[in-house]
Amino acid sequence: MKKLFTILALIASIFAIIFSVLPLSNLAIIPAIGALVFGIIAFYLSKKEGSVKKIIQFTFILTFIALAITTYKSIFTKTEVTNTDAIEAIEDKLEAESMQELEDLDIEIDESELEDIPFDE
Amino acid sequence: MTRISFLLLFLVSISLNAQNNAIGFGEKLTYTASYNMSGILTDLAEVTMETSAVKTSKTTLLRLKCKATTYSKWDNFFKIRDLYESYVNPKTLKPYLYNRDINEGGYYKNMKYTFSHKTKTVKTVQRKKSNWVQKKTVPIGADTKDIISTLYTIRTFDLTNLSSGTSKDFTILFDREEIKAKVTYLGKETISTALGTKTCYKISLGSTNSNTVNGTLWLTADENKIPVYGKFKIPVGTGELKIKSASGLKN
Repeated sequence: MKKLFTILALIASIFAIIFSVLPLSNLAIIPAIGALVFGIIAFYLSKKEGSVKKIIQFTFILTFIALAITTYKSIFTKTEVTNTDAIEAIEDKLEAESMQELEDLDIEIDESELEDIPFDE
Repeated sequence: MTRISFLLLFLVSISLNAQNNAIGFGEKLTYTASYNMSGILTDLAEVTMETSAVKTSKTTLLRLKCKATTYSKWDNFFKIRDLYESYVNPKTLKPYLYNRDINEGGYYKNMKYTFSHKTKTVKTVQRKKSNWVQKKTVPIGADTKDIISTLYTIRTFDLTNLSSGTSKDFTILFDREEIKAKVTYLGKETISTALGTKTCYKISLGSTNSNTVNGTLWLTADENKIPVYGKFKIPVGTGELKIKSASGLKN
């Protein structure tokens, strides 16, 4: 039983560390909570038997590091869009191509229908 | 009897040609797309939906443009730069030209549709990396639209007097195949958004064939009917689309 909880705590804490370094860092909270719960159970079970193995303390350290990284990232990482030059260039290119294409198309729109639409230009 | 049949025909033609009173030129809606797992939100991308006027020598068209860009923290892992645009009739939102240019984690695809409503065909040109080009002409039905103009068309419907459970079918041309989709009106709901607390029309989007619901959309219960919140099914967790800002609204 003790072994099972120790292994579960270790696996969960490793997942917490992996998630925390990925952009999905918020999700690290789920395995971190799991690691803490399993770790505490494993800790008490081993304490009952008299000896607490270092590996359990190691899972606690991993979990705390994961939580620290997650907290740091959630406070200091800005959610912003950068690096949009390429897509803006594509937008302009597509617009130019489309204008050419639309000129060649046979579009039938009754202009009187459009009269009541205000243009904001 | 003839009079009644004429009246019926007139009513049918009115309901078929839904007029656009919701979407004007110069509208810009910005959304945050996020991933929700057990209530923990992770922001993924910014989605913008813009409209503008395009003047050709013959007429004026409405350009509908949707853009999805991942936030900078994702760019090193899975960079998405997607662009969808459709040039449509400003009144009926009938599409004439559609462009889709997607760049997702190194995968690139460009698709262009040129609609010919007279012959009920669409000329398609597909481009991929290293100048790979494929041209194909596909036949379409009378009401087939591209995905962007369909999304905007949903906003043109009069939902005021509908009873919940009423549904409407659409045919969408996606990846050169016609897909049957169904929009069902689910009733009114008040939700809080970045634009304040809004009374919304709640609608579900799904496929006609399997009767499954793929997403739910909340449109403001006013003349503009702007989508303020969306929830989409994905294998694990849910995808969410939340409005961040709205400008240039028609009404």
